[in-house]
Amino acid sequence: MEKFAKAFPSKPLPSKTAKPWALAGVVGSGNLEVLLERGGRPSGTMECHVETSIPGYKASWLAALADFAHHYPAGGTKVTINDQGAPPVLVNLRLRQAYDHLTKGDK
Amino acid sequence: MNTAKSGLRRQNKAQRLAKVGKLARGKFVSSDKVPELLKRIIEPGDILCLEGDNQKQADFLANQLATLDKKDLHDIHLVMSCITLPAHIELFKKGMIRQVDFCYAGPQGTAVADLVKAKKFPVGAIHTYNELYARYYIDLTPRVALIAATQADRKGNLFLAANTEDTPAIVEPTAFSDGIVFAQVNEIVDRLPRIDIPADQVDFIVEAPYPMHLQALFTRDPAAITDVQVLMAMVALRGIYEKYEVQSLNHGVGFNTAAIELLLPTYGERLGLKGKICKYWMVNPLPTMIPAIESGWVESVFAVGGEVGMERYTAARSDVFFTGRDGSFHSNRAMGQLAGHYAIDMFIGASLQIDINGNSSTVSKNRITGFGGAPNMGCQPTGRRHPTKAWLKAGAEANPGPGSPPGRKLVVQMVETFQAGRVPTFVEQLDATDPGIRKALHGVAPVMIYGDDVTHIVTEEGIANLAACRSIAERQAAIRAVAGYTPVGLKRNKRETADLRARGIVQLPEDVGVRPSEASRSLLATQDIKGLVRWSKGLYDPPSQFVDW
Repeated sequence: MEKFAKAFPSKPLPSKTAKPWALAGVVGSGNLEVLLERGGRPSGTMECHVETSIPGYKASWLAALADFAHHYPAGGTKVTINDQGAPPVLVNLRLRQAYDHLTKGDK
Repeated sequence: MNTAKSGLRRQNKAQRLAKVGKLARGKFVSSDKVPELLKRIIEPGDILCLEGDNQKQADFLANQLATLDKKDLHDIHLVMSCITLPAHIELFKKGMIRQVDFCYAGPQGTAVADLVKAKKFPVGAIHTYNELYARYYIDLTPRVALIAATQADRKGNLFLAANTEDTPAIVEPTAFSDGIVFAQVNEIVDRLPRIDIPADQVDFIVEAPYPMHLQALFTRDPAAITDVQVLMAMVALRGIYEKYEVQSLNHGVGFNTAAIELLLPTYGERLGLKGKICKYWMVNPLPTMIPAIESGWVESVFAVGGEVGMERYTAARSDVFFTGRDGSFHSNRAMGQLAGHYAIDMFIGASLQIDINGNSSTVSKNRITGFGGAPNMGCQPTGRRHPTKAWLKAGAEANPGPGSPPGRKLVVQMVETFQAGRVPTFVEQLDATDPGIRKALHGVAPVMIYGDDVTHIVTEEGIANLAACRSIAERQAAIRAVAGYTPVGLKRNKRETADLRARGIVQLPEDVGVRPSEASRSLLATQDIKGLVRWSKGLYDPPSQFVDW
């Protein structure tokens, strides 16, 4: 088990989003859950909280989250990740899915 | 005065046949006499071809050969498509082989790596399929060929059923150079459904006590396709298939391309791509293509081999598949590889390792597999002259010089940035360049597909268009940009990546109009094998290991 938090610079989230929060994935073996919430945070950063069952990959997590914050305007959001050993390739997809749900809705 | 040799090979063959004497009745040999017959027809120094590829195997003859000893048989120059069976490895362990030339050693890859380390693997070269068949007509013509057929009739004609595969490419050069062709068959019958090899080209036949080994190699269970693979399939469909209007193609055997096949009737249909892409295929009868075929996407499929369980389905869809006069499926590996080389818009496949220059390989220090057919298709056929839309569009993008062909085949590598167990796919240097492996292969590193031939790499991060890169440095930056969080990917430079993205050389899923939130298994035409059976209207008979109902 490993737990860490960090905020990354990001352009502000669009002023209107489809939902106040969005969830992608589930906490299950080889999977992860990403919760994305808007509101009540500085608009220039994306605040991330990660809890993972597999320690030792903090550098990769931070790099992936920094890139995400760079590519997508996600300033002012809080990202909460509960990881149960998801393969690295799945992390970005779940982040993108949560962002897509938040900004454009479920369909 | 020098005189040309005349008739010596024929004389030598006659001598060998004379030695067989009463061991055979005409062409026919009983199975218990096979080891003795092999001793009499094979001589030291012979080039011996043992039929076996990644699907069908002359396994009875291989097993009988492996019962012999070095005193019976030695200094053999073995030529074969695939080193697949424990019996093949046995020949090396017994020291019977002076040299081997082959294409692929999938299931025995670890055993081959061990033989290399023990210096018991005197390899000439690892080939691609058509490269090896070509040498059968030049400097590796078999003196004796041990082959596999489904049925023989009383005259000695052979029927090869769905798995014709390598057989004609082995038999022709052997039979037309006074070599000896020895076939194992599953059964001898009065009347064949069709004749694939005429009796005239066959010297001996044995009815094997067990049917030839057939591997179900191309069956991919949709249940094992992941959301990430669905995302990559969507990205490939929009960013490559749709963009270039790919009409003719080959798919590899991985789950990534299986996901694409299963998206055609759903996602592809919604994008309005039916009739515009994926009409002509050079591919084995993949069960995951059933939904696309049933939905009317596919005009034709030519195959290098059969696939276990697809016999009734392919026979019932004779407008799509090539079939014999008897109505059953036909394949041909040499012709299929030729078609995949010259006549398709795109090859798309996966790999275990890709280096920063785009070279790929499936070889690791402990596992030497080789090539098979992928490099024949995953390369630029510079002898191609006919244009297609996709070929010209890809060519224009690559900005060919005045001394280059105007078009380009799309050669696409589709990989996840990590393999199972968090092993990175992207590496600075391929394991294939290991000095021990290179030494065994006379200085040649076994590269599957060269970076210069690759036009695109697709990962879960997006697409890198290597053909549009204008320098090696740019190509390396594009590869790092889609290499995710592997050590290779972590070295990317943000500004360089942003520049490549602005120029469309690197594209994220959103850049090609893909919504990641849609990337879900539920988008597949079916989620399991049972669904494939249903799509086939009960004509597909999945092998038992795939049946859990």
